[in-house]
Amino acid sequence: MTHPSETDLALYAGQDLGWLGRRECRRAVQEFAAVSESLADFNELPAISWNRLANEMKANIHLGLSAGECVRREAPVGTLARAFSARALTAYAGAMAVLVASLYLQRPMPPAAPAAANGSTILRATANGIELDQGGHALSLLHEVSDSVTYSAGAQGSMRAGYVDADGHVTINDVYVQ
Amino acid sequence: MMFMSSRFAILFVAALAASYGQDRPLDNSVKINLPPDSPVTLISANLGESHASQRGSAIVLDLDVALTLRNASPNRIRGVTVLVAAQEVTPGGKASVSVPSLDVAPNQNFPVHINLRLLRPMQMGNGPLVQVSLDGVLFQDFSFYGPNRLDSRRSMTAWEMEAQRDRKYFKSILAAHGVDGLKQAMLECLSREAQRPRFDVQVSRGPSVSSAASAEHNVRFAFLHFPGAPVEPVAGWAEIAGNEARNPRIDVRNLTDRQVRYVEVGWILTDRQGDQFVAASVPASGPQFNLKAGSTSRVLQDTALHISKAGGPVSITGVKGFIGQVEFADGTVWIPGHDSLAGAQLLGILQPSPEEQRLMDLYRKKGPKALAEELNKF
Repeated sequence: MTHPSETDLALYAGQDLGWLGRRECRRAVQEFAAVSESLADFNELPAISWNRLANEMKANIHLGLSAGECVRREAPVGTLARAFSARALTAYAGAMAVLVASLYLQRPMPPAAPAAANGSTILRATANGIELDQGGHALSLLHEVSDSVTYSAGAQGSMRAGYVDADGHVTINDVYVQ
Repeated sequence: MMFMSSRFAILFVAALAASYGQDRPLDNSVKINLPPDSPVTLISANLGESHASQRGSAIVLDLDVALTLRNASPNRIRGVTVLVAAQEVTPGGKASVSVPSLDVAPNQNFPVHINLRLLRPMQMGNGPLVQVSLDGVLFQDFSFYGPNRLDSRRSMTAWEMEAQRDRKYFKSILAAHGVDGLKQAMLECLSREAQRPRFDVQVSRGPSVSSAASAEHNVRFAFLHFPGAPVEPVAGWAEIAGNEARNPRIDVRNLTDRQVRYVEVGWILTDRQGDQFVAASVPASGPQFNLKAGSTSRVLQDTALHISKAGGPVSITGVKGFIGQVEFADGTVWIPGHDSLAGAQLLGILQPSPEEQRLMDLYRKKGPKALAEELNKF
């Protein structure tokens, strides 16, 4: 009987050898004590743990198979049926009710016309004062100087602000589009 | 040595350029023009923190001017209007400052505060940057002095008539119900003022700037009629598109036998929530407006209003109008009475008159007794 080669012994230690080769190796290991000692060396190679590597590879393969199974479950044939299930329809009805109610309550308007969209001059009275808008460039002409300031527009193209100053005098400022 | 001097020259030029782009005080750049025969004289002009700064090709003039004027006439002054102009052609170049509700005795000083911002092109000449000139002075007997370029005679006359109307109303309450009644009336005014709907209004002249998404339609005015009004609205329309109202056209009829030279229609808009607010006044005057005794004429303005509230557009659902002011050819002015405004439920919609603002401010700061004393002066 001849000694098994080191390659066969390594495969036998990792249980990767075929049935016939494993049988021959097992017999050789039993017959040759020296070979048995060297088997332990091969089984516990300092750099590579074949058994641990094999277990990890198996675990990774099992993990991949499980993941694939999950993916197959997410796209089942009955997706359409579930999309129109009673629970889904109830959820859709709720969402539509919220949407309709919000539209009714808010009555959304088209966005405000952009200021000076055609390059015209605009006078604007806001809570902060009077602004002149020319070609989209706004300039504040009058800051709010009092809490009780009143603004009024003139259709001929003017804006008026009236307030009482610290001395108790009423002051009225008029600014003009042109 | 040469190196040092060139370095200083560079620094000097850089500092000069930097200072040119920054704010400059308006020390000698504001000119106060009062005619030689003016009934008011200039006592002092404090320019405060007035300054000029460059913005693109324009100069922005921030005015913080405190004028002290003296009544050099033998009459009591009721109002003053000054024209403040950096240039008169382009928008933002001129403004006016009016001080109504005055009661200035002869030889008495009074202040006029000019607190606003003007624009002026860079390439204009070397004269003063801002000219302040007198546009008009209104006296106690409704006589007037001034060039009246801004139609300040009519404005100040109307404000003085409103002042007399409002003082008469509060004095009648004081006479009937005492200081407690006056206090109650003032609280009602303050409550109305606090509850009055506030909207942001922008006004533009000429073609529309509305978005095409809004469907435009003509809306007919509903008019409020005041008993005794010399002019009545007959019919009117405005174009409404979303939050835009434009091109008001209102036919008015002169009910008197006197020539009318100015009519002002108050323009009330209603939103979806039912809130009403005075969006603008629609004036009609000039050669094209001819309202002879008994005749009908049209008030129209090529203008557009955009209404918003808290930054969002407001959907306009209705328009109303009322005659707010009439000026006859002889300079006399008609305004609606307090009872007419109350009867039409306009007190909560209209802005307070300048005199009502002044009286409310006096009540807030000094209380009902001081207000009663002020009313008894007139």
